[in-house]
This record gives sequence, C-alpha cells and structure tokens, in this order.
Amino acid sequence: MTDGWEQDLSSISPTDWTPERARHLLDRAGFGGPPEEVARLAAMTPEAAVAWFIDFKAIDDSNLPPFEHSGIYDPSLTPFPPTRPAATRLAAETGSAMGVDAKPAGPRRLQPVADRFFFWLRASMLETRRVGNWWADRMVATNRPLEEKLALFWHGHFACSEEKVRDYRKMLAQILLFQQHAAGNFRTLLSAVARDPAMLVYLDAGQNLKDHPNENFGRELMELFTMGVGHYTEQDIREAARAFTGWSDKDLTFHIDDVQHDSGDKTVLGHTGPLDGQEVLDIILAQPATANFIAGKLYRFLVRDDLSPEFQDRLGNLLRSGKYEIAPFLRTLFLSRDFYNPASVGTHIKGPVELIVSTYRRLGLGTTPGMPDFNSASTELGQTLLNPPTVAGWSQGRAWITPGSLLARGNFARAVLLPDVIAFADPNLDPYPSQLRTFSAHIRAGEDITTASRIVDGADGTEAQRSGMAIANLLSAHEEFNTHYASLKGWEEAVRRVRPTLRAAAQFSLTTLVLKGGARSTTQAVDSLIARFLSVPLDSETRDAAVTFLEAELGTADLDRAKTYLEEPLRLTAHLIMSTPQYQLA
Amino acid sequence: MAKGILLGEIGRRDVLRAGLIGLGGGITGFGAGPVNEAAASTPTGLGSRVLVVVELSGANDGLNTIVPYTNDAYYRARPKLGLRPEKLRRLDDQFAVQSGMAGFERLFKDGQLAIVHGVGYDNPSFSHFTSMAYWQTGAPNSGDPYGWLGRLADALDPSGGDNFIVDVESRQSLAVRARAHVPLTFFQPEHFKRDATYEEKAALDQIAGPRTARNDAETFLFDVAASAQRAEMHVREACAAYRTPVDYGLIRFGLERVAALIAAGFPTRIYYVSYPHNAFDTHVNQADNHARLLTYTSDHIAAFLADMARIRRGPDVSVLVFSEFGRRVAENANLGTDHGTAGPCFIAGQPVRGGHYGAMPSLTDLDDGNMRFTTDFRRVYATMAATWMGCQDTTPVLKGDWPPLPAFQG
Repeated sequence: MTDGWEQDLSSISPTDWTPERARHLLDRAGFGGPPEEVARLAAMTPEAAVAWFIDFKAIDDSNLPPFEHSGIYDPSLTPFPPTRPAATRLAAETGSAMGVDAKPAGPRRLQPVADRFFFWLRASMLETRRVGNWWADRMVATNRPLEEKLALFWHGHFACSEEKVRDYRKMLAQILLFQQHAAGNFRTLLSAVARDPAMLVYLDAGQNLKDHPNENFGRELMELFTMGVGHYTEQDIREAARAFTGWSDKDLTFHIDDVQHDSGDKTVLGHTGPLDGQEVLDIILAQPATANFIAGKLYRFLVRDDLSPEFQDRLGNLLRSGKYEIAPFLRTLFLSRDFYNPASVGTHIKGPVELIVSTYRRLGLGTTPGMPDFNSASTELGQTLLNPPTVAGWSQGRAWITPGSLLARGNFARAVLLPDVIAFADPNLDPYPSQLRTFSAHIRAGEDITTASRIVDGADGTEAQRSGMAIANLLSAHEEFNTHYASLKGWEEAVRRVRPTLRAAAQFSLTTLVLKGGARSTTQAVDSLIARFLSVPLDSETRDAAVTFLEAELGTADLDRAKTYLEEPLRLTAHLIMSTPQYQLA
Repeated sequence: MAKGILLGEIGRRDVLRAGLIGLGGGITGFGAGPVNEAAASTPTGLGSRVLVVVELSGANDGLNTIVPYTNDAYYRARPKLGLRPEKLRRLDDQFAVQSGMAGFERLFKDGQLAIVHGVGYDNPSFSHFTSMAYWQTGAPNSGDPYGWLGRLADALDPSGGDNFIVDVESRQSLAVRARAHVPLTFFQPEHFKRDATYEEKAALDQIAGPRTARNDAETFLFDVAASAQRAEMHVREACAAYRTPVDYGLIRFGLERVAALIAAGFPTRIYYVSYPHNAFDTHVNQADNHARLLTYTSDHIAAFLADMARIRRGPDVSVLVFSEFGRRVAENANLGTDHGTAGPCFIAGQPVRGGHYGAMPSLTDLDDGNMRFTTDFRRVYATMAATWMGCQDTTPVLKGDWPPLPAFQG
C-alpha cells in the first residue's frame, strides 16, 4: 500500500489518514502528545491536521508568559571586558571598570572590580538557565508546537552559545527571533540573524575591521548557515568578510560603523562590486546550493537522516521556487507520501530536549516540572539549550546515543515518574566552579584569603608546585586582587539576585490515565502505557516482561481489585517501558 | 616539497626505522608487582598495548606551544604574542615550551616525548569542523562514515570484542565510530548507571535481552543497549575504586578515568579523550588563556604517564596528542591568532623514542601567510597503528600506504 511512497512528494489522500499517521505528524511537527491529542488530529482531514501545525499564527498563545527578568543587568556592564585580566587592567589604568571603582589605597585595591566581573559572568550563566527553563516550559505548554520545534531547529542551525556571548539578554533576543521567524521566510531570518547581537558577538563581528578583516562570520555563513562545504572558495570567504566589516552590535541593537566598513570592490561567488553584507547574503541566497542545504537540513531534522542527492535537489528546488518561504515547503513535506512511508515513520532518534518535552506532553502535564531540573536533565543527555557545543550546533540522530546516554535517558524517566525528593538539590545553588565550596568554608571559618587560596589550589602540595600548575594564582601573588575571592563574591551576589526556580515535582496520576482509558487488566494497563509513551510497537518479550512485573507488584491481574494502590506499580511499569531502546524513537 | 628547516636528528633516525620484530620482547617482565589483581592478570605483549589519543579541539597554536625561540622570523611575525626566550623552558638550542609546561619539558628531557613538526595535509581546510572531521576520519578532502580509530579497531579485532574502544566524552567522537565495535562512551562514570529499584532489576535484565529489530535504527539502539548493559557496572566500579597519589591538574579532561580503567584491567586497547568545546580557538586575547590551556594539558598528560609508570603499565601505554590545525604565523589585530595550517603532534610515553621528527616548516616561505606542512598526519597515524599497535596492514585503516615515523624504541 505504501510501495513507491519513498521520495514521492504528492499528497496522501484522506483515505490514507490513520491514527498512526496522525501520531507521526504530531511527533515530527511537534513534540508528540497524549492519546487524546492523537485522536483529535486523526479525526481531521490530513490537510486540516497539517494546517493546524503550520498556520499556527492563528492560534492564541496568550497562555505563554514572557520571560521574567531577575533584574541583574545595568548599563554600566556594557561594554563588558573580554577577560578578567582586561577588566582589572582597565581599572588599574583608569581607576574603574564596569561601574565599579578601584580602592584608592590598601590591600587588594582592584578586588571590587574583579568581584564585579565574576558577578556578571555567573549571573548571566544562571539567568541563561532560567531562559532555558522558560523556553522548555513553552515547548511543553504551547498550542503552536511547530513554532517551538522550528525555533529549536534554528537554534541548532545558527548555533550561538552564552558561554562566549556572556549576556543572557542577547541569547534571549535571539531565541525570540527564531520563534518570530520560525516558519517564515529564510531570507528574512538569515538577514536578521546576520544583524543579531548574539551572533555578532559570537562570531567576532567587533573584530571584523576594515584593515583587519575577521573571517569567522564569513566562513560559518557559507559553511554552516547557507551553502555547506564545497560550494565556495577560501577567496570567497575572505571577500565576504570584507563586505561585513563594520557590522557590529551596540548592546542589544545592530549598528554599522561606517569608518570600519570596507567599501571597496569585492568579488564573491563571481559577483563583483562594492558589496555590502546584505548584497553578499543575497548572492548566497541565489545559489542553488543554499536552498538544497537548508531544505536537506530541515528534511533530516523533521523526516529522516538518509537523503539521496537527487531528492535533496528536488527539495531544494521546491524551497527556492517558493522564494524560501518555509511554511509552504513544510506543508508539501508533511502531506507527502514520502513523509508517511515506513522508512520515515518511527525511525527518528529523539534529541534530548525533544525526549524531555515529549515525555511531559505525553503525560499531559502542561508545564515543565522544577524537579528534575530541566537544564541538568538535558545536559546529562547531551544537550544544553543556549550552550551548543560549537557553532556547528548539535549533530542529530545516532550521534545522540551512547551506552551512557541511553542509561541516562532511562534515569531521566525515573526522575520524572519517581523523583528522588530526598537527594534532590537545586543545581542553581551548586557553586560554580565547585572548588568554591571548600574555599568558602575556609573563608567563613576565619582564614585569610591567601591561605584559603593556597589550600584550594593545592599549592601546598609539592606535586602541584613542581608542575607549575595554578599559574594564574601564582602570577597574582602580588595580590591587587584575589581571583578565588572574586569568584566567590561574584557567585554569592549572582545567587542572591537571580530569581529562584520553583522546584515542584510533576503532577499527574497514571491511575486516572490508565483507568480512564478503559483498562481492566494488567495486560490492558501495559498496552495503555505503551500507547501513551511509545511511537513504535514494543516487542512481545518486553511487553510480556512488563505485564509479569506489574502483576507481581499488584498481586493480581485485576486492576479493579488493585485500584487503591495502583499508582506506584504503574509508575514503575512506565519506567520499564521508558527504559526500552524503542522509547528513543519517534 | 616544502622548504623547511631540516632537523639534524631526522636523517639519522629515518635510517633506524622501527619495525615490529623484536618489540614484543622489549616489554616482557613488566607485569611483575602490579598494584592490583586485575593488572596482574593482564598479559603483556603486543596485545596488551594501549593507545591513548588526546584531541585538543579548537586548533592549538603550535608556534606558541613548541616555540622556535632562536628564529627571528617568529618574533617578527608576532611582535606582541611572541614569547620571549627568558620566559620559556628550553628543550634544546632550537625549541622551548611555555613556562607552564613543566610536564612536557620533563617528558622531553627523559626521552619520552616525540615532537612531530609541521603536521598537516594537502589542501587544508580552515574550518574547525571540517578539518576535525578530516583528522577523525583520516580522510582529508574526502569522507568516511567510520573514524580512523574505529577502522583500526575493526582491523585489529574484526570480531568486535567488548569495550575495545573507550571514548571519555559526553558525545561520541567520529574518530571512534566503527563497523564492528560499539565504543564505550561515557564522561561522568558516577552517572554511567541505570537507576532502578530491586524489584525492577529482573524485568530490566529481561528487557535488555536480544531482540529482533524492525529497522536499522532499532538495530543500532539494541546494539548500544546491549553494550551499556555489559559495561555499566564495570566502569562505575573501576572509577570509584581508583585511588592514586598523582595530581592530574586543574582541568581533568579524562585521563584519570582512563587510568582507572587501565588499572582495573579493562581489555580496552584504544582510548580517546578530548579537551573539549573548541577551547584552543584563540582568536582574541590569546596569551593568558593559551598559557593556561597548555599548562592544564601538560600537567594532565604528564600526570597520566607518571601514574602509568606507578602502576607499572608505563611500557604498555603511549599517548598521541593532536589538534585539527595550527594557526597563522602572524598574530592578528586582537592579540590573538587566526586559523592556520600545520602544527606539531606529540607522541609520549615510556616506549617512545623521544626527540624531533618531521621538519619544522619555514616561517618565511609561506603559503598565503600559512606554514606549509612537512609531514602528512597519516604518517603519524601509521606510526601509532602499525609500529605501536601492531596492525599488520594499515592500508584499509589509513586508505593508503603511509610510512611510519621511527618514533618508538625498536
């Protein structure tokens, strides 16, 4: 019946529409959902179901609150010095930095400046975790799942990291940009990203000067954001970098420094003229390679990993002939026979954020619980929002899975189903870096800063001294400031000022969910959990093992007899099902 | 062929090309007096040799690592970033290391550090991701679904024996991706475990049994699940039980975990660790940051080898250190350096024949501001694969015939 559906972009007919296919659409165009949501989509026509995802701007999103700032920023933090040595040097030379004065006399004259530097680094880091939490909450709560799914895609595509940007406000603004243009026009999005402060900082726009072009943005623009390797030369990169000279950020806005802009002739991909950045973007967008690259990457993210060059060309043509409008391209894709053929269905390995969000949505939560901590959980699985490992983003698919991450995925399920409320500690109170715990204990016990530092450095240990480690602290032995102390004071102030995250466990009742679904026996209960949590069939050995387990826990196969104590056994059984390899698939 | 400074020692050493014959005898007798029973049961010989690969991600600035402190061209190209001779640790009358690299200095002076100069490849990519993929696959300007270490594991043990490759990273590297082997990948050993209650255990064991897969994705997941099931307890226990007096430095990027597994008698022949997150990408304000990175790296590697000597596995272990490319000869306007080409590789350990290999590229005869590489990185790989690991035929591993360097004692 699906013979020949592979690489067929013609639409499926209403008679092809089944609950399984509705679930597939929900998994891929969104983050999956509970059986009721699958049933709702299955009752529509395929066109209407796909339209519900794609025409999301029509859906009310007033249930999604904007990010609430803690209020840690003030303008004296801009411009923020690039390094701690640069901050203290500035204060030594001018008497102040970041709005804080050096002391006129006395020991550790520059200490307040060093404290200030670390305060902002740590506060921005903690606030970025709150942004990640806020975003995850949107993914779970939204009635516009494709908007967030695509924002996540663009975040991995135009990957910037707070670790380098060092300003949660810029990172937040970038995520808002991805949400705004999620299914819009790629030219519009690319043009906005090229002017986006987080991107400008991340790829060193401030260092791209007329007399010293910095190729970082020009290179990644061609290699990672548009065409991919093999469609341009090193010369094209150098020339493109010149076209972007002078493009920079003024705090949260875009700014062109005319003095630093090189207005001379450049030749990029065969086009010569006094090109500016936007003209270079348009030259790149006119290349078939760009449409192929973007179309192929969207396909791999939303449909499946393997893609023949010929089919990728077809997808590229589709995107380019539609003038880079994402929505009509995805409408064709989500309605296509190719999307519903067996090679596409149930073969996608969920990414960490996708796995977490889909778990919450399938449980019908409506919000992201504070326990387990979202950022720690996703980091454990290999993905930290707003901190991608490199500008190449996250590699998808099989790259997510290692023996360790597979175990961690099962452990995450357990932390949701059976949270360890005794051992749980708020990770945002866990000092960064961890040596602060020891250092703080020594300082609070009345030890002087130098002695406490030496203990933390292990500088009393001969091995440490011999091998020349802790060089930074030996260099600061003349102590205009103490780095450890600054790190401690910065952390303390950051934790005091950043708003706490509510630490509530997920509220749900598997008993209600299973009984409401009509299950009467342990076998039916297991099938109900399988239908709720899995997108692919579970092999009969595993299903039988789960039934045997549940029956042993209940002491009966009759759910009615066990209805007063069903919850814990059902949660353990759900943990078994969510520990299977099949749980990774959607 | 690039014009370069040919080091005096090289010509002599090339004659003494190390072969495989006789190597086995060189390491017998070191099994005596191990620190624990697991090590005692480890057989010595070619089959007990371990290769540890250390990746420095982000493109390490080779010129400020192994500093040609007598070369005026170096100081001319780097008026601000050039490291003054009085601030360096001199290795000999041509080269020195940064002051924080006491560990590397000691290894070199003990004859346990081979420095391979000017390592690179033809038509270099200046992209971190592309060049790293070239190094990891061993297929520059080409591609391969498997990594060079994965192919080496497949060649050495086509049966895909358990835990032949260990990758101490949060994400598995392309370098270790293999056809027959599922690399054991973990970063935090204490997290490498399945949390479950006593009642669940029997059911979980049943669930982990062999299954018939419906498609390739399931085949892959079932294989990894089986590997996790076999390895989890061993890794966690080995790392938790390991005690060492050796200080592994301020940034412990994985070698102390490698030591724990080696000490526990793991059958692993190939270990991979990474200094992650593109840390060595020093475009801006390089000096302080690069000094720290090298200090941590040098401390960590020297500590690991000291620890291996302590548990008497020194003769069985050698370490290869690489980065995806070097940096441009001239400093940039931001007190940093931009993406370049060739750079040094390091081979360290007791079995190594320390000294200089390859030719230091010229700092004046440049290709558009970049050094011309003098040794293809696949020759370094061949040295590790053939000479050290005893791979009989490295042609499928390295996709060509690359002569090894004589960097091991024969």
